[in-house]
Amino acid sequence: MAEKELAVKKKGISSKGEELRAYWMFILPGFIMYFIVMAFPTVFSLFLSISNYAGGSLFNNARNPLKVVGFKAYKVMFQDQYFYLALKNNLLIVFISVFGQIPLGFLMAYLLHRGMVKFRDFFQTIIYLPCVISTVVIGILWKSFFAPNGAWTDLIRIFNPAYEPAVSNHPMIKVLFVILWMYTGTYFIIFTANLQKIDTSIIEAAKIDGASEMQVLSKIILPALSGVIVTSAILAISGSLKSFDLIYVMTAGGPAERTSVLATYMFNKAFKGAPNYPLANAISTVMIIISFIFIGITKMVEKKFGGKE
Amino acid sequence: MTRLRKMMAVCLVLVMGMAMVFANGAGETSGTTTIRVLNYIDMSEPNSANEISMVWDKFAQEHPEITVIREDLFNEPFHQKVEAYVASGNLPDVIYMWPGGRSTSLQTTHSVKDLMPFLEKDGLVDDYNPATLAPQTAGYLAELPNGLTSSHMMFVNTKVLKDNGLSIPKTYEELKAMVPVLNAKGIEVVGMANMDSWVMQSCLFSLVVGRLGGADWYDRLAAGEIQFTDDWFVKSLELIDDMYKSNVINRNTLQIGYGSNRGDFANGKAAFYIDGDWSAASFQTDITTGQALISPADQAANFEMIAFPAIPGEVVHDTVSGVVGTGWGMSANLVAGSKEEAAAWELIKFLEGEYVQTYRLETGASFPSNLNVNVDKLIDEKGLEPFVAKRSAFYGNYTTTPVIDGVLHSDVYNEINVVLQEIGLGACTPKQGAERVQKAWTTWKASN
Repeated sequence: MAEKELAVKKKGISSKGEELRAYWMFILPGFIMYFIVMAFPTVFSLFLSISNYAGGSLFNNARNPLKVVGFKAYKVMFQDQYFYLALKNNLLIVFISVFGQIPLGFLMAYLLHRGMVKFRDFFQTIIYLPCVISTVVIGILWKSFFAPNGAWTDLIRIFNPAYEPAVSNHPMIKVLFVILWMYTGTYFIIFTANLQKIDTSIIEAAKIDGASEMQVLSKIILPALSGVIVTSAILAISGSLKSFDLIYVMTAGGPAERTSVLATYMFNKAFKGAPNYPLANAISTVMIIISFIFIGITKMVEKKFGGKE
Repeated sequence: MTRLRKMMAVCLVLVMGMAMVFANGAGETSGTTTIRVLNYIDMSEPNSANEISMVWDKFAQEHPEITVIREDLFNEPFHQKVEAYVASGNLPDVIYMWPGGRSTSLQTTHSVKDLMPFLEKDGLVDDYNPATLAPQTAGYLAELPNGLTSSHMMFVNTKVLKDNGLSIPKTYEELKAMVPVLNAKGIEVVGMANMDSWVMQSCLFSLVVGRLGGADWYDRLAAGEIQFTDDWFVKSLELIDDMYKSNVINRNTLQIGYGSNRGDFANGKAAFYIDGDWSAASFQTDITTGQALISPADQAANFEMIAFPAIPGEVVHDTVSGVVGTGWGMSANLVAGSKEEAAAWELIKFLEGEYVQTYRLETGASFPSNLNVNVDKLIDEKGLEPFVAKRSAFYGNYTTTPVIDGVLHSDVYNEINVVLQEIGLGACTPKQGAERVQKAWTTWKASN
């Protein structure tokens, strides 16, 4: 034993050193990846938003030397009516996600889990199906469906042969419907998995004690799932704020920017016409700030009402 | 760790390191010069796939000393990649580009070279239509164009008109009078695809603005002599408003994606179809399948290409909106006098030379800027499809006025695009729209 300790000392390895080394070995790859993919771009984006960057090489750019110009881009953004239109649409998506997808996903998971509906496997598959289809395919599919000569018009004409499709002044409604249809399955699966973790003997005991279905739901199941609901809300909020692909394919933000969201608004400023990189980066910075605010609110709500899991 | 494992680990690291170092390929292999090219392939054109063998393989045969690494993209992915390249400063050596519009950043950042000195050095200036060699967005010849493009072309299905006792309209009022006749039979009057906001602005509104504002409207606007809130612009918006209100253009066109209703027009579901001249190619025969949206016989007998009829109050007549066509630019990163620069110029000369421009004429992709291409002779000798001859006649019948997104900054033309769509939705009056555009123009002018 003493010989072993001596050998370890000779090699200069102490148990504390080993621990430290092991700690960094596990942490470093993740930390480096996070720094490269998340932290650095976020901070760099913040820097670009207050610069005069207009494309080309960042340094030694003789035509347009990189300078810090302050918060000009933010001023332009806050004076632009399309920013508020995009923000409003984003908030609508957050609303439909938190108060549409999560309750609906939970309700369907609960009904199937408690055996209130027959053909459980069939419905599970149907509800989850949109989640395994590519977003681009879904966007094209629904765009074709709602097109003036698409299936929607034909369906309505079954009941009203004189129906003529008309362009809507509220095109966001169709987008919100598709978002609800598309992502509810994700929360359905999350809730189904977590409902299966609840000990059935507790529910059976409550039933024997005369608890109604509503009491089982409100006193046992919802408290048990409060953490999952908060996690789902965070997922829904962050996912809603970065909405891009579906809307870009389905409407490209049109008509007249009526369906644009912050991500498409940012994309247009960066990649359409003459690019305005500081403005695009200012928009992305605001998106991050809004995400933090929402997640903070969700955490506060969890502290106050949840956390009983 | 055993010795074997250590050796294997070292070998693995070496292999990965070598793979990373050499993954980009060698600049020169077997004595050839390698250049990178970003190519635009219009997937909506029936003959686009043939370009590989007819153009790129041909160049490879003629120039075995040059290796071309080509990237083919279409539509949005192409434009996004261009912006990413511009932002990174790592541009391909030769790049397909527009004279302005979505290629603005290539020009304003001077990411591409001025090609005029190359043309002058090789004595090729006289080979091209002088109008196509005019300075572009950044004040120099950033791309050598395929030709001149009319962003407006009104295709007419004369059979539909004839079947309904109608004829090609000479005035807007005559066109408008067709609405009840055609709509009663379930036929649209003018087919357009206005979901993409640039389509209305580029393919119709630019013509209207030119007719009501005059060919020099942009010069007078830039000089501060006229404003967007003046009659010429308000009346232009009023015409679009009237077209939607009277169903000359159905409001549902705001839900139709670009290029997706050409088949409807070819099949007689609309009497007219408005697009850019480039869309003519999509109606022609696909060489590989022999199929065409409009057969050559139909092209000859039942279809015409005209400009929008006379508009009330127009100050110039028989005009279309036109702009220098797309073409090829050369990366400014190429070292002057280098082998890569010479190879890139050789490729551009080939792509804008007689052979490729003849091929593009035959497929309807573009109308030549190269004066060595004798269009009339080719039409006679090669028996090109009737649309080629009709297109040739079209250019001779009309003069051009500026295309809005070719002369205005995107901060201004994007506002025009939105206003046009809002008018389509019935959510904005022409006067309100004009005020918004004027505000965008004033703001842009103040910041530049």
